[in-house]
Amino acid sequence: MLVEFEQIQKAQSGDDAAFNQVVLVYRKRIMGTIARLIGRPEDVEDVAQEVFLRLYYSLDQLRTPEVFEPWLYRLTVNASYDYLRKQRRRNESRMADLSEQQVMMADAAAGGKANSDQNHRTQVKELLDSLLGHLSEEDRVLLKLKEVEGLSLKELEKVYRVKENALKVRLFRARQRVLKAFAASQKSTPENVED
Amino acid sequence: MWKIKISGEAGRESAKFRGTKMERLDQELDSLFAAYRNAVPDPGASPDFMARLWGRIDAQRSFIYRLRRMAQIAVATAAVACLLGGVLFTPLTKHEAPAGGTYVDILADAHPEDVLATTGMRLDLLDADQH
Repeated sequence: MLVEFEQIQKAQSGDDAAFNQVVLVYRKRIMGTIARLIGRPEDVEDVAQEVFLRLYYSLDQLRTPEVFEPWLYRLTVNASYDYLRKQRRRNESRMADLSEQQVMMADAAAGGKANSDQNHRTQVKELLDSLLGHLSEEDRVLLKLKEVEGLSLKELEKVYRVKENALKVRLFRARQRVLKAFAASQKSTPENVED
Repeated sequence: MWKIKISGEAGRESAKFRGTKMERLDQELDSLFAAYRNAVPDPGASPDFMARLWGRIDAQRSFIYRLRRMAQIAVATAAVACLLGGVLFTPLTKHEAPAGGTYVDILADAHPEDVLATTGMRLDLLDADQH
């Protein structure tokens, strides 16, 4: 826990200064998680604000301050899902008349403008995003929370309110699917295998 | 026989190769996840983050206040309408039978003597017939 229980209890009882403190402490971490879940840096702050807005208006529903962090993660995951759903609808209408090749060319052109370090980051990001593209939105978020955010199964159990075994199965299947896609991508680009 | 043995070994070799390849890919995937973590670092918030957040909280708070106020007004209007309806419709439904009266009493109450007299019926004659 990054904050004391009393701080959360104060915020629950309507202390705005305490709520401010809670936001300041968790803001960076939550924004980082959102950035990696939604993949669009320009919208991270808006989604983070949505998370803290939901937190403010639902803080009184939190019964025990001990579960505050998983609860905050749940709000983050839900706000990110909502954003991704909206984004998908927007993208479907925008990308409908562009072929896949055109989209890839546009991405490559955008990547070419960045410097080499940035370029490498973009490549890593694009590669993993394309591999995770083989998963459903829910599995993608779950796998990122486990593998990128480093949440343990126990923590994920609290976030999702799902039995650990069910999560294990979902994670295993998701990872296998990503591995398959990774293997296929390695086959299509033989120079990567030698690295 | 040796063919089977060789193909068995080759099969094992191939499975082993596949196994090691998948293990290597698994490790590479782990490092890819780690690289992704570094490729997308925690972004910093803009200086007006808190101001904007409180602006949104206040906007929602005033919206909720307005909604609550409208709900209160709606409840009050409904209560007044019920009262008015009660006052207006009570006299119309006041033709009730006297409590505890017999069927004959109710009939007599509903058809007073003077009304019956206009139709040519006389209650005193009816009473005399009964006696």
